[in-house]
Amino acid sequence: MAISVNEHELLSAFIDGELQGGELDIVLNLLATNPEARKRLNRYQFGSDVLHEHYVVNPDLDLAQDLANTLAAESTYSATDTKEKVTAQIIPLKQNFWKQATGLALAASISAVAVVGVMNNSQYQAEIPLADAGNNNIQQVASAGGQRWTVGEPEVAEQLNTYLVDHNEYAGSNGAFSYARVVSHGYE
Amino acid sequence: MSVDQELVQRVQAGDKKAFDLLILKYQQRIVHVITGFVHDPVEALDVAQEAFIKAYRAIPRFRGDSAFYTWLYRIAINTAKNHLTARARRAPLLDVDIEDATYAYEAAALKDFDTPESNLVRDELEQAIHKVIASLPEDTATAIRLREFEGMSYEEISVVMECPIGTVRSRIFRAREAIEAKVEEMMGAE
Repeated sequence: MAISVNEHELLSAFIDGELQGGELDIVLNLLATNPEARKRLNRYQFGSDVLHEHYVVNPDLDLAQDLANTLAAESTYSATDTKEKVTAQIIPLKQNFWKQATGLALAASISAVAVVGVMNNSQYQAEIPLADAGNNNIQQVASAGGQRWTVGEPEVAEQLNTYLVDHNEYAGSNGAFSYARVVSHGYE
Repeated sequence: MSVDQELVQRVQAGDKKAFDLLILKYQQRIVHVITGFVHDPVEALDVAQEAFIKAYRAIPRFRGDSAFYTWLYRIAINTAKNHLTARARRAPLLDVDIEDATYAYEAAALKDFDTPESNLVRDELEQAIHKVIASLPEDTATAIRLREFEGMSYEEISVVMECPIGTVRSRIFRAREAIEAKVEEMMGAE
């Protein structure tokens, strides 16, 4: 089947990667339906390859024809094959999202604990007269009300409250707990 | 988007014919490259076929980070190297003396694609094509030279030659027709 001069010109432009618009469809259709076009394209490409000195001396080499049966047996791809690949690339981002979300949630929880602690501490400070601020005695602690150990045995209660007083300080300086404070009342 | 990228996308979307076009475009280069490793022409063609099949199977994962030919070239080189490794490991079919086997292996490896006869054909072909280009009208010869030797795009050539892109396209096509006629004359039609 003869092909027109314009079609020849299209084949030449394909060799140079200079097709425009829908011309690639025309070339693909031409090659699928016209053996003469296929042969002509092969020869144009061969001439170009000779000028670049990367060729084997066989202008009618057609590996595509030789591989036709093998490729026919191969699976045909679809757009989803490529989309699956893209989805797989997102997985690390999701993992990163959960990591960040967990970190933010932890930070928010710790902030809430810190705020509650500060508020409680403020209540306690407000009830201590300024002049007596340095004089922590049982009376002042008692006025804090409900924020100390109350167990049956006074000795045990005293030991527990002493322990809490000893730990009435910022709980470490590293990591998230640097913002937390253990607040308690008792002898000091 | 380049024509190669468009063809790759079409293959990824299920158009097998688009892969045919990529094979036709790069088969000579790929066989030539593989011949540098596998000196037997028949083996080189087999390895080239294997490389193209591997490329087809891997094409859904081709993201276009590099040019298609660069990617294909890497596959071809790896396939050729794997072929050589497999061939070296392959046990001889007959119980032969180790020295004979070594000699036979080296002799096969030395059976070069570039025989004096094929070299002569190559030289004659290249000279003939250069002569054809030299005999073309000046505008046509310049257009094909700028395209093939300088790697210019049609647009760049149109600027250099101060003519429309369509004219550049026609001139290059006419040059290709002349080259094709010479190849036909020298190599004959199948």
